[in-house]
Amino acid sequence: MVARLTDLTVATIVRRRSRLPASLIVGGALVLILLTIAALAQWIAPYPYDQMHIRDRFLPPGLHYLAGTDEYGRDVFSRLLFGSQLSLALGVTATLISMGIGVPLGLIAGYRRGVTDELIMRTLELMMAFPPIMLVLLILAVTPPSLMKTAIAIGVLAVAPIARVTRSVTLDLMSGEFIEAARARGERLGYMLMRELLPNVWPVLMVEASLRVVFAVLLGAVLSFLGFGVQPPAADWGLMISNGRAFVDTAPWISLAPGIALSITVIAVSLLGDGLREVLDPRLGSGR
Amino acid sequence: MAAYVAQRLATVMVIMVAMSVLVFLATHALPSSAAALILGQYSTPETLAALEHKLGFDLPLPVQYWHWARGMLQGDMGQSLEMERPVAPILWDALGRSAILAATAMTVVSTLGLTLGVVAAVWRGRWPDHAASIFTYFGVSLPEFYWGLVFILVFGSTLHLLPTSGYANLSDGLGAFSSHLVLPVATLALTLLAHVARLTRSSMVEALESMYVKVARARGLPERLVIVRHALRNALLPSITVLAQDFGFLIGGIVAVETVFAYPGLGRMLVGALERQDLPLMQAAILVLTAVYCLANLTADLLYGVANPRIRYGGSID
Amino acid sequence: MNGAGPLLEIRNLTIRYREDDRRITAVRDISFSLKLGGSLAIVGESGSGKSSVAGAILDFLGPAAEVTGAILFEGQDLAALAPAQRRRILGRRIGAVFQDPFTSLNPALRIGRQIAEPMVQHLGLRPAEALGRAEAALQEMGIDRAAEVARAFPHQLSGGMKQRALIAAALACEPPLLILDEPTTALDVTVEAQILRLLSRLRRDKGITLLFISHNLGVVRRLCDEVAVMYASQLVELGGVDRVLEHPAHPYSKGLLASRPPLAAASRGSRLAAIGGQMPTIAKPDTGCVFAPRCPFQEPRCNAGPQSLTMTPDGRPVRCWKSDSLGSWPYQLVMPSVAPVFRRGDALINATELSKIFEGRGGLIGWRLSVARGRPRLHRQPRRVAAVSDVSFSISPGEVLGLVGESGCGKSTLGRLLLQLLRQSGGSVEFDGADLARLPAQALSPFRKQAQIVFQNVGSSLNPRLSVGEALERPLALFSLAKPRDRIRRVEALLEMVRLPAAHRNRFPHQLSGGERQRVAIARALATEPRFVVCDEPVSALDVSVQATIINLLADLRDKFGLSYLFISHDLAVVAQLSDRIAVMYRGRICEIGTAAEVLAPPYHPYTRILLASAVDDDQAPEPTAGRLAGAAQAGCVFAARCPHKLGSLCDTQPPPLRAASASHTIACHLDTFPVSLPCVSVDRAAVGTG
Repeated sequence: MVARLTDLTVATIVRRRSRLPASLIVGGALVLILLTIAALAQWIAPYPYDQMHIRDRFLPPGLHYLAGTDEYGRDVFSRLLFGSQLSLALGVTATLISMGIGVPLGLIAGYRRGVTDELIMRTLELMMAFPPIMLVLLILAVTPPSLMKTAIAIGVLAVAPIARVTRSVTLDLMSGEFIEAARARGERLGYMLMRELLPNVWPVLMVEASLRVVFAVLLGAVLSFLGFGVQPPAADWGLMISNGRAFVDTAPWISLAPGIALSITVIAVSLLGDGLREVLDPRLGSGR
Repeated sequence: MAAYVAQRLATVMVIMVAMSVLVFLATHALPSSAAALILGQYSTPETLAALEHKLGFDLPLPVQYWHWARGMLQGDMGQSLEMERPVAPILWDALGRSAILAATAMTVVSTLGLTLGVVAAVWRGRWPDHAASIFTYFGVSLPEFYWGLVFILVFGSTLHLLPTSGYANLSDGLGAFSSHLVLPVATLALTLLAHVARLTRSSMVEALESMYVKVARARGLPERLVIVRHALRNALLPSITVLAQDFGFLIGGIVAVETVFAYPGLGRMLVGALERQDLPLMQAAILVLTAVYCLANLTADLLYGVANPRIRYGGSID
Repeated sequence: MNGAGPLLEIRNLTIRYREDDRRITAVRDISFSLKLGGSLAIVGESGSGKSSVAGAILDFLGPAAEVTGAILFEGQDLAALAPAQRRRILGRRIGAVFQDPFTSLNPALRIGRQIAEPMVQHLGLRPAEALGRAEAALQEMGIDRAAEVARAFPHQLSGGMKQRALIAAALACEPPLLILDEPTTALDVTVEAQILRLLSRLRRDKGITLLFISHNLGVVRRLCDEVAVMYASQLVELGGVDRVLEHPAHPYSKGLLASRPPLAAASRGSRLAAIGGQMPTIAKPDTGCVFAPRCPFQEPRCNAGPQSLTMTPDGRPVRCWKSDSLGSWPYQLVMPSVAPVFRRGDALINATELSKIFEGRGGLIGWRLSVARGRPRLHRQPRRVAAVSDVSFSISPGEVLGLVGESGCGKSTLGRLLLQLLRQSGGSVEFDGADLARLPAQALSPFRKQAQIVFQNVGSSLNPRLSVGEALERPLALFSLAKPRDRIRRVEALLEMVRLPAAHRNRFPHQLSGGERQRVAIARALATEPRFVVCDEPVSALDVSVQATIINLLADLRDKFGLSYLFISHDLAVVAQLSDRIAVMYRGRICEIGTAAEVLAPPYHPYTRILLASAVDDDQAPEPTAGRLAGAAQAGCVFAARCPHKLGSLCDTQPPPLRAASASHTIACHLDTFPVSLPCVSVDRAAVGTG
């Protein structure tokens, strides 16, 4: 199923391969590089992320320590590489959770209309009535924080926007007569959602997914910064920035380096998302 | 229109009630008992039970909720566990200071963001658009707290231009008051500005490429008139919704920015309360912040209803 | 300004679009002129380039277009002017009305303001004065409540009213030239007739010069003196409208006129003369005549090189070297057929007192705040629309029942009720004797196999993500009609049945033309081997030359498989071509039902009479009084509010009885004697029907 959908997307992209937008190529390449780095962090990083070199504390970026060392003498560069694992894992997991729940909800709400739709929409409205960060803080503050829990919290938060987008695209599609033609054959709900609707919603979802990943990574960073995300001594970028606050005058690289890493990641995924939108959206003509 | 307003009001009320229940339930799932916190090292099973009874923690949950909610509505927000003072006055003070920050930031975001978006759309494909695009890219790709630190580094530590923390009362002089605000506002506004600019740009582009704009041009109307009276008016409509949505992000931003700049607002208070598991303060702060967001959304919805002729003058005249 | 010369002169106009790295020529070397007070129509199908011509004059085309040639208006070359000057001329001296009234008006501004705006800009009037004139203009356009409409917003008006407002706006500064790009295509037939009458009157009273762009030859006849026919970016014929329509010189014009279904009942074996193939998207006139591949008169010389314009004996330019010696377009052979006898007893589909009422949405939105007796009340007030009321008819096996009516009359809803895609609010549908509403859910599946539907909207009736083969295989798989290894062969057989090449199996909808997509939709409907097919406006979205081939295809399939159709359309001529019987529908009720010949001949129901009149531009026919089409249910005759023969309060309060004009012909009306035809509507003449 997923293979078939990815197939479709790749086919669409390949069909236009001569006219691919730059954002897609650059973004895609960067994301691939980041994923590779994250996957191979253990082997690329010069030092383990929690190894302290007491005599080499607060060293500025140099040959031995590419991004300098922090207050415990840990190599900032290595910690950056390990941090990419955390951020990307968080972004992807949260997005998968939100899509796994949000997409079916949106599809059903858009397809069924009526009471089901109202019920789902009202619940989503309720969820969206909270300022984004409040909902997450609420969940995280009352339970011991961990990466998984942060991912779940952010994922649940993102369910509402994903469901809304899915629903609105579904509603657009419902006015297309191929849906009625399927009903005239007596097709069941499962077939309608999976084989008729979903393949048409998928391109928009890919674009939306990239936005959600960005959102999750940034929110995760804020949460760690505030102390509610991953706990020390994990090499989370938000946490690193928070730790480096106290030394921003004397050793700014402790905070600046993870910030640069964060921005590169976010820009890469954003570019990919923009590129996907240019390639996939015009075909579907879905407005956002 | 009346139906629209009624529906929105009803929805808001339902949301407020549901929210209060959620907040209440969530905070009551705290692992450590509030009573244990108060007693600290003096807690024994007996004293714990006694204090819990005194604080009403052994009553069934719905009853506790009812007492709490009733208190809230009457303005009694309970007693801060840590500071051992009534919550309400400190909360309102903090809210006031956050409000100054939020209001200033929103003003900057709406004016600059909308302008930037419109300019980028009107000159799309040319250098103002590209410049705006680069700016917004960076704006949305970094979280506020990071920009905050960068600003502190640049303007505070290096250039020593502006204070990097704290708050000064208006009574201390306009200069001191505003100088403490500059960096936090700038940090808050930056990300939101980028977001608003992008969305305004796309809705403006859509308006500029619409049929009625082409028709207006075919009628020989001057370009400036076409842009302002025809395109802009329709493009700004979705912007109202965007700004409302951004208010939610603003609240999140306030939490982070106040922490970075040690600004004594409600956001920072909330973070502190969460860290120390100060239950009443937590509940009150979250509730108030969410209520503010709700009201902002309601205002935006009402504004939208007034501005959109389809809602304001529904139906047909045939 | 040159008093003697033409008002508008186009010389060697060529328009090319840059798309990615290619250049597409939309208009190639067009020349024509329009004198003051004259009216010229540019006729062509979609893709012919006709809209681009208007676009070039109005500077509508955007930066991707390269325009060469001269566009002389009042002696000045518009293309050579500075933008500011050109803009002044456009607003003040040239008015324009476009196809889609729904998007042409700014949704955020009031109507009056939008009409007044050009007056303020170009004539220097003060806003208040301009608004006053705007109201007067609206009144001139036939809108009674001009002040109210001027204060209204676009979403509050119907399509016809919007278009009238747009015409008023175009004429605000009293320009000598009015350009109309398909102004009535998006409107109902009766509304279209009213707009055309309005334009005729404006021409007569004010002497406005018209440039009218359309695909609809019938419309053109009523309004224009001259017509220019375009095909695949080139001008193929130009001349007086009567000459061109009575004696077309170019094969394409001949084919276009010949493929129009006449407004007459057709025998079962008759087929329309159709133009095979389709218009090329990238014309290559350098290699020969663009029309040659589809032309029945073509010979080797036609492909020898680019064809230039020659003159017919009566002085018309035509792009065909053989035009003098051509006869008429070859007519389709009439197949031998026996007029079928349908016994009412063994009906395949039997609808009895069907009705469908749509409630407005409930929930919080259905609440209304009202003030009653000084106290505000919040109550539910769902909007109820009776889409179908009390409809009864039957269709025998092999019979085609045509259902005709304007948009909003409920015909699509009726079609869906028959297929149980919607649940009826009252009445019953029987298929093969079984009441469908009483069937348990699993028994519906065999019914679904036997009853299928073909839709109007070729753009969205096929799933864009499924290839043709996949779309056709699905019904086969669902109903187990073929074993997996046989499916491909079955799919190819289906494609052949609708006259598509087997290789199309692997194509996706966006790679097919409108006509091809409709064929695939028909193939998909037939894949389940149904006995009954609802055809919901299957040709309305297609070009005229493609319509004929699809209508012929439907007729062939009907004969081959003994299918029954419910053929729904707003176009009487199209319905008459295929149907054994015709039902006329208005606001949810059937006004008249009978055999095709009976319905198209007198006696008529008043509404039928008006439909026919609109179809052939009968100026003598009474006009319906103004009013909306759809609305809430009411007692009495649904047509009473608009009927020119209304008998008074009887028609408002009592539902009309069913009068039998013959054994098979029923009319629902209070009248004793019905309107009889006037000379214009004669069933022998091959009249040019509606578009």
